[in-house]
Amino acid sequence: MMDNIYSVFVDATQRVFSLMLNISEISDHPIKSFRCDDEIDIAIDIVGDLNGKVIYRFPVSTSLNMVNIMSGMQFQAVDVFVTSAISEIANIISGNVLTVLEESNIKCDISPPVLYKPDEDREENREYELQTSCCIGTTIGEIYLDIRLNRPS
Amino acid sequence: MLWKDRYELGVPRIDRQHKELFRRVGAFLQVLRSEVCWNEKVIRLHEMLEFMKRYVVEHFRDEEEYQKSINYPRYEIHRKIHADMVKYVSEVSKQFEQSDNNEELMQQFGGRLLAWLINHVAAEDQLIADYARKKGMSGNDG
Repeated sequence: MMDNIYSVFVDATQRVFSLMLNISEISDHPIKSFRCDDEIDIAIDIVGDLNGKVIYRFPVSTSLNMVNIMSGMQFQAVDVFVTSAISEIANIISGNVLTVLEESNIKCDISPPVLYKPDEDREENREYELQTSCCIGTTIGEIYLDIRLNRPS
Repeated sequence: MLWKDRYELGVPRIDRQHKELFRRVGAFLQVLRSEVCWNEKVIRLHEMLEFMKRYVVEHFRDEEEYQKSINYPRYEIHRKIHADMVKYVSEVSKQFEQSDNNEELMQQFGGRLLAWLINHVAAEDQLIADYARKKGMSGNDG
């Protein structure tokens, strides 16, 4: 399970996209890093049998498409409403991950989602035992996951 | 906010309430996001919020009664999810009044409510339907 943490996050993302947005086809591939100015970054801390964080990077166009599908309305720009809806989706994906981990007797908890600013992250260069990034492609745009976890020593 | 047939549980009373909840939250979001100036929206938003607070409690109570009636094994987990949401809505409502109708607070609430409700009905509530179907108890509450 620990070696498979990448798949757990990808599968959870796929489930949430399928149930909430009716998008069932997604693709994924590992990436080394991702950074652009045009995105909403959401960080969720994980504590328990695993410690660290996952950072969800939603490009603006993907974010707006997601909120448009959910609301049936047309959002043209990112604002506090859009950021809040996207944060809740990151929270829901993380909750799905916790459920799967618990089935393998790995017990963790998550903190509420927060806007992540890489430049303000004092632990940006910290090394993690389990560190992986992936790009998930969907019909409404890509999203990026940056998973950074340690097992308790 | 669009209702989809795949959200139906097969329990008529609960399905009616879910549809009404989608309709009410959809109307709330329409007002929240309309071009009308903030001060003009505030009275309607307060009214809608008050209605939702009452309706959500009533719906959660009915849904929990149904879960108990079929001995739903995730009842306690589901009840806590409901209780947490009721608490959140109540706290936001109080903060909204205390903050003299802060717009950012209400926009933040709207975004979270949108995603939460869709996930709750499309994912968590479907587990009740899956269980009822497996036990051959679907759609028996009138």
